[in-house]
Amino acid sequence: MKNQFDYIIVGGGVAAATIAKGLLEHKHDTSILILEAGPEIIAKDRRFWWDYITRGERPYTFTYDQKFEANSTGNIDYQTDGVRVKAYGGSTMHWGAWSLRFRPEDFNLFTNTGEGADWPINYEDLETYYNDAEAYLSVCGDDSANWVPRSKPYPVPPFEWTAADGEMIKAWEQLDVVYQDGDINPGKKSKIKSGKMPVARYRKCMTTGTCKYCPIGGRFNAQYVLDDLKEDSRFINFEVRVNSPVHKVNTSSKSKIESVTYTDNINGKEHTITGDTIILASGAYNVPKLLRASKNEFWENGIGNDYDLVGRFVVSHSMLNVVGKAQSNPNGWFQEYDFPTLMSHSYNTKEHQKKGKIFMFKNRTTPNVDIAQLMIDGKTREEIDEIVYGEMTVNIQAFLEEKGKHSNRLEAKPGKDRFGLPQTTVHFSRTEEEMKNANDRLKLLEQIIEKMGLEIISSRVDKPGGHHTTGTARMGTSPENSVADKFMKVHDTDNLYICSNAAFPTGSAVNPTLTLTAMAFRLVDHFIKKKQN
Amino acid sequence: MNEEVTSIGGSVCNEKLSAGLIFAEGQNLTHQNKEALWEIFEAIGFSWSNTIYNSNNQRSSWYEMLKAKTENAPNYTGEYVNAIYVIDELKAMYGKEDAYKKLFFESNIDNSAPPTTRLAHCKVYVVNEFIRMQITAGGFKSWGTKYGGEQAKNYHGFLGGTRYNRISKVRAYNPDSNNLKNE
Repeated sequence: MKNQFDYIIVGGGVAAATIAKGLLEHKHDTSILILEAGPEIIAKDRRFWWDYITRGERPYTFTYDQKFEANSTGNIDYQTDGVRVKAYGGSTMHWGAWSLRFRPEDFNLFTNTGEGADWPINYEDLETYYNDAEAYLSVCGDDSANWVPRSKPYPVPPFEWTAADGEMIKAWEQLDVVYQDGDINPGKKSKIKSGKMPVARYRKCMTTGTCKYCPIGGRFNAQYVLDDLKEDSRFINFEVRVNSPVHKVNTSSKSKIESVTYTDNINGKEHTITGDTIILASGAYNVPKLLRASKNEFWENGIGNDYDLVGRFVVSHSMLNVVGKAQSNPNGWFQEYDFPTLMSHSYNTKEHQKKGKIFMFKNRTTPNVDIAQLMIDGKTREEIDEIVYGEMTVNIQAFLEEKGKHSNRLEAKPGKDRFGLPQTTVHFSRTEEEMKNANDRLKLLEQIIEKMGLEIISSRVDKPGGHHTTGTARMGTSPENSVADKFMKVHDTDNLYICSNAAFPTGSAVNPTLTLTAMAFRLVDHFIKKKQN
Repeated sequence: MNEEVTSIGGSVCNEKLSAGLIFAEGQNLTHQNKEALWEIFEAIGFSWSNTIYNSNNQRSSWYEMLKAKTENAPNYTGEYVNAIYVIDELKAMYGKEDAYKKLFFESNIDNSAPPTTRLAHCKVYVVNEFIRMQITAGGFKSWGTKYGGEQAKNYHGFLGGTRYNRISKVRAYNPDSNNLKNE
């Protein structure tokens, strides 16, 4: 078994796939090893898909953190169970594929608000890589939208709004939500136009709405990329090892990272593999745990942790949720896509940053009636008609931007999970001011529901959770304020990189995967230039 | 466990079984088995009046599901054969039309509990899954038009039409005509 590689990538998700593809396409014989702790679960399998349709079962859910494997402390429960897929392909096995860029102000949060952190790069540094990422993920979107500056059109046209979106669109217009003064052209009172959700789909998407397990590979999954790389005869030195949790990064000096040690879960044997460059791409949970577990004479508190920053500044999205009810649904509407099509960035702007930006969207599953379940329950056609055309609920949701705090921390707890990775504890609290701001934002959502003529039946700020966790090994300008530099290289090392949401200093109000993919493209570019120099 | 006392069926329907899938490794469905199962599937469309003409336009999807569930583990062949025994007894007792009426509307089976009789196995592993498949493959389209609304075009799991967007794949928002029914 080969035990020396040019690059070792820990983790087998979208970041790993993007980096491997970029490096291999640049130089075909580059030797790359990807070590994935989880198993391989087949995608695009028809039997799995039929079990999803008929029984609601998805083949990867057994890899989710269980309660006993990941818990939390603090003044609010942090959802750690059921949010991450630990398998070949990573969380792109189950993601919703919403692919939104961060906005320029997200890179300057501290400068703008005095809270959180700034990125060591600006939006402009990443813009061309966003183009690359959108082309790679086949993101569909609305070219006429101007909520974020872009130099290229979307590669695929957007999904249209559904008829059921119509009432909310009208309410937004009446409340000046869709169009609002923004800061795209400061001083010119430019209006922000948003509205159609960008989603990562290949052109063969058939809009089955079963994105959680796509039957035809129409929704991006890192597994497809990795499979292609493995099968490409040009890439003779590319290898993926699944069931291989890495538990230590080894160094030969303070700056020189030499190898990683992993366990083969199939036979229990331990292996140490050396690499010229080592990239940690295993997510905002595992990257900090691995760094802190890698203690040695040069790094007594773990690699990159001389200033006790690894695992701190946990950033999460909290979901705001308001549900309204109409007395009837004469059009018999139900959600036909099962993914959201309507969004607004009116409150995802610089002037809302201090209080916490929100990214609003109509919930992906309302209005809806589970007609099949009613039939299964023995309801007659007449009874089902009454339900389908009867009361209708509509749900508006928003992600609330949260700012990293030193006291919020993710760390390993004693014991290993079922895949040989350290178990997790998240220490997370919200301040009274944060709760007040969240509740203020909630009132806006309530206004929208009321403007639609609906009766509010539920209004709540959901608990934070691990779906979009960022910040746990963040980039910055020095070891005193961060774990990694602007190229995501761990400070004071020569060859250890982080390509993960962990490296994000802020989380914005939108989903992080497109930005992570753009950062992976930027890292590939960095490696290529470094070699050339 | 599902300890339901069923009010329908006879000794076959009410025979006790363990809740797990009925073992059938190495067995195959015959042509006659498939035709008998197709009758159950067709009866769903008749009972809820939710096929536009008949169920035949769903046959290829249904058959593909059957194949996927009998040629891959865990194998459903035993469940499918059991369902045929159950429906045969119900038909013998009540006649064809009432047999399906009783099975779909009057079985008293707890759908969320592990099935512990032949009837419950038939309902949970076959009828309920056929219903989900039938709705997904097009049965949903019959809801939407009762009060003059537009026919539904898409649903969770529906594979329809072309992958290009020239023709709307959903009931789309049209600012000029949308929501008239709600005003």
